[in-house]
Amino acid sequence: MLKIDNKADIFHYRALLFILCFSLFSLLGRYFYLQVIDYERHFSKSQVNSVKALTTYAPRGLILDRHGEILVNNYPTYILTVTPYELKDRDEEFIKLSSIIDVSVEELNRKYNKFYRGRFLPTTIAKNLTFKEISQIEEMRLEFPGVQYSRSDERIYSPILNDAHFLGYLRELDRDAIPNFDKKLLYRAGELIGWQGVEKQYEKELRFSKGVDYIEVDTYGRQILRLNDNSIPAFPGEDLSLTIDANLQRYCRNILEGKKGSVLVSNVDTGEILSMVSAPSYDLSIYRGETLDSEWNNLLKNEDNPLLNRSIAGLYPAGSKLKLITVINLIEKSLVDPLDSLLCTGVYIPPGSTNEFRCWNENGHGLVDLNKAIAQSCNVYFYETVQLINLKDWTDTAKEFGFNELTEIDLPNEKNGLIPDKDFYIRNYGRWGWSERGVLLNLTLGQGDILITPVQALRFINHIASRGETPQLRLNLSKEISYYDKIVYAEKTWNHIWDGMFDVVNADQGSGWRARLKGLDVKLFGKTSTAENPHGEPHAWFIGFFDIEGSTYSIVVMVENGGGGGAVASPIAGDIVSYYINSFKSLAGN
Amino acid sequence: MIFMDNSILKGVRDSILRLFFIIIGLTAFSLVTLYSISDNPLSFSSSFYRQSVFLIFSSIVFIIVQNIKMKTIHDNSTMIFIGTLIFCIIPFFLPRVEYTYRWIDFGLFYIQPAEYLKCATVIVIAKYLSNNQLKVKDNSIIIIPLVLTLMSAFIVLNQPDLGTAVIICAPLLPMLLWAGVSNFLIFLMIAPVVTILAASNIITFTIWAVLMFIFFIIFHANIVTKSILYFANIFTGLLTPFLWNNLAEYQKQRILTFLNPDLDPMGSAYHIIQSITAIGSGGLFGKGWGLGSQTQLKFLPVQESDFILSVIAEEFGFLGILCVMTLCFLLIKTLLDIAFRSSDYFGSLVIIGLASILLSHIFINSAMTIGLMPVKGLPIPFISAGGSFLLSCFIMVGLVISFSKN
Repeated sequence: MLKIDNKADIFHYRALLFILCFSLFSLLGRYFYLQVIDYERHFSKSQVNSVKALTTYAPRGLILDRHGEILVNNYPTYILTVTPYELKDRDEEFIKLSSIIDVSVEELNRKYNKFYRGRFLPTTIAKNLTFKEISQIEEMRLEFPGVQYSRSDERIYSPILNDAHFLGYLRELDRDAIPNFDKKLLYRAGELIGWQGVEKQYEKELRFSKGVDYIEVDTYGRQILRLNDNSIPAFPGEDLSLTIDANLQRYCRNILEGKKGSVLVSNVDTGEILSMVSAPSYDLSIYRGETLDSEWNNLLKNEDNPLLNRSIAGLYPAGSKLKLITVINLIEKSLVDPLDSLLCTGVYIPPGSTNEFRCWNENGHGLVDLNKAIAQSCNVYFYETVQLINLKDWTDTAKEFGFNELTEIDLPNEKNGLIPDKDFYIRNYGRWGWSERGVLLNLTLGQGDILITPVQALRFINHIASRGETPQLRLNLSKEISYYDKIVYAEKTWNHIWDGMFDVVNADQGSGWRARLKGLDVKLFGKTSTAENPHGEPHAWFIGFFDIEGSTYSIVVMVENGGGGGAVASPIAGDIVSYYINSFKSLAGN
Repeated sequence: MIFMDNSILKGVRDSILRLFFIIIGLTAFSLVTLYSISDNPLSFSSSFYRQSVFLIFSSIVFIIVQNIKMKTIHDNSTMIFIGTLIFCIIPFFLPRVEYTYRWIDFGLFYIQPAEYLKCATVIVIAKYLSNNQLKVKDNSIIIIPLVLTLMSAFIVLNQPDLGTAVIICAPLLPMLLWAGVSNFLIFLMIAPVVTILAASNIITFTIWAVLMFIFFIIFHANIVTKSILYFANIFTGLLTPFLWNNLAEYQKQRILTFLNPDLDPMGSAYHIIQSITAIGSGGLFGKGWGLGSQTQLKFLPVQESDFILSVIAEEFGFLGILCVMTLCFLLIKTLLDIAFRSSDYFGSLVIIGLASILLSHIFINSAMTIGLMPVKGLPIPFISAGGSFLLSCFIMVGLVISFSKN
């Protein structure tokens, strides 16, 4: 009868019994050690151990302009947090809270679910509370178990200069996004994190380091005493000085008021950006505190796309400034004699074709040499001469100046742009759907499939102004200077370009004569572009550079669908350069 | 013959009676402790009140389960397993509860299907191993139990619930051992795990390598197989630190966080420190019922379930813990005795599996409260508050009683 089926033997029974005894006795041993042998220590610790650890915060670093003017500051507010585990009755407490702080119960619940991170961890449910509201909650302390408040800083922006695009903004961090960020910075759901612009780029530097405070509390969780022994102080973030000149920035912003476009001013010798305007802009203060969905949707749906930083992420056809790429190829390879003239009758018909390619000046420019071709931006001259150049040579030269790649300016979300090369054409038009000669006629005018960003245009002009070697563009004043790859050309090549660009502004029939500086002893070099595009009026461009007191500065103006580069962009550029030179002089005068 | 029958019957009746008393003792500890930590024990939302209701409900189920015929369970074990498995997959298609897929929300209460998958896995493996046609000494016998266990564990792991996944794996080795699988095979299953753990330190690794060498000599097997297996183990051990170091920092971090989700100086370490202080300050006799300062000031986290032992330790001292541990010991010992004396192979295997589950819960939970293991959120049987778990414990013991009647 006994164990007919059961194959278990006494050895296995003893083995399992041994495991049972061993595991329970080792546990008991540990309990005995803690409770009997080490009792004194733990008991005395328990006497004072009504200690809670609280995370402490410090302000985020400020953002200043190059002269120390504060662009982004902090102001203190209170945030309300709850510890889910300590809540007695969440619904009831939320209803009571909502009657005090003017936030709906639904909103409190929405925040609670969004930022929940564990039963024992405080969850942010409301922000921007006033001192009065906090006092009311403190009075009714006993009715709100599990509810705490703490101080938190919000960003406040200089009222005069509120430039959303490069400053960027902060955003509340979602629980799901946390794993994407540096663990060492100890992000928690609901905390603010730099989300755009330099706030994002320099998040690590600007962000404070968290501290821990140990406080003794009574039965109701009220703080009795702060224990300083083990607390770790919180440190404020580093202040960030930008290369931006607030006054110039303000001037440029105003001049673009009501237009769409971008203005960039930089110091060629150091790569510092003095002004970066993208218009239209938006009011950064909507990100402070609670952003209304309607406000946010208005921004998202606005046809003028105010959220886009046009300076680094707006893609536009380049226009005639890329004629200079053709010029470089012609002179470097000695394909033409700069003094030789061609006849511009206002129209060009490629050999073997019946298509007419027109110059912008329908009457023709007459006899045109290289210098005049640049100064008056004669299309026909470049239609003729680009026939001497290979597609590959042309695109390689353009890429040398950094088109088709990021300028690596210290801002997030920069765009690449596009210089179409042979691969691109084969991919998009098929092996036989295009001809090298045909596309070059477009490329030499900076049209066709070419797309560039204004900041790429700035890098281009800086390369020209420095004759090849220019530092990387940057917004952080203390960032170390590093150079873009050096571009090496013969001196005469640079000379021809410079001469041509000087005449663009200063010669009688120069296309950029409206940028001419009146009564100022400064030489302005420039190049206008009128970039045709399928979306309406052409984009008006002006790029240029000038010297003041031994330093070289460059400027890029782009007015989206503004019209002619000479008529629209040049006068703006002229005004900005005059303003800057005058402010320099008045500074020296003081 | 008649005399023997009587003594066996008496033994069984004794065991069942003993189980009743042990369970009453443990649940009494539970209710007394929960009463102490509830602010308002008689309100509907207090853990004391809820646990009492669960207790009444579970007792009814307990009595019903005792009367299920073992043959019914044996014959339907595959269906039970598949059914429970599907039950476990359902939460993945429902809205998340507390940000996981562990629970099914029934409005008034949650149910955690994984609690029942533990039992179902044990039952289906027991049925497989108790098949008379099976050659126990054949090494391939381990394949199906291993696959079934890993499959269940994998589903639970994705909920994600590492603690329960570990519990699902726990009965495998004791059941194989009980079934008479060769010791060498069982050693082979443990060895790689120990190798990887020992590989972090050159000294432990050397000691383990020597020990392993001795074991390999003792066991009878083909010498070529033995040496291949030995060197495979050593090789794995040597490779481990190398692979670990080759991981990027964030990958290591991910593995560590996976093993211990609360890896955070302000998180679990804080809880364990609070728990140890509570336990240690209880002393030999404890601070008295309702007088534990750590407990009453709510410094202890999840004190009604995960850290309930710390409450007992603080308020009733080492003597309280001694009582609990003695009851736990007697519980498992009684199950082992029943399994040993059982005349039925299937029933005996199931009881061993259930005993392993209960012991793992007891061990992991206690070890966690004293900081010997990472915080895993595993409750302790019959004491921790929690409906699903209490019910599954009663079902387990109910099954044991039903089987012992055969």
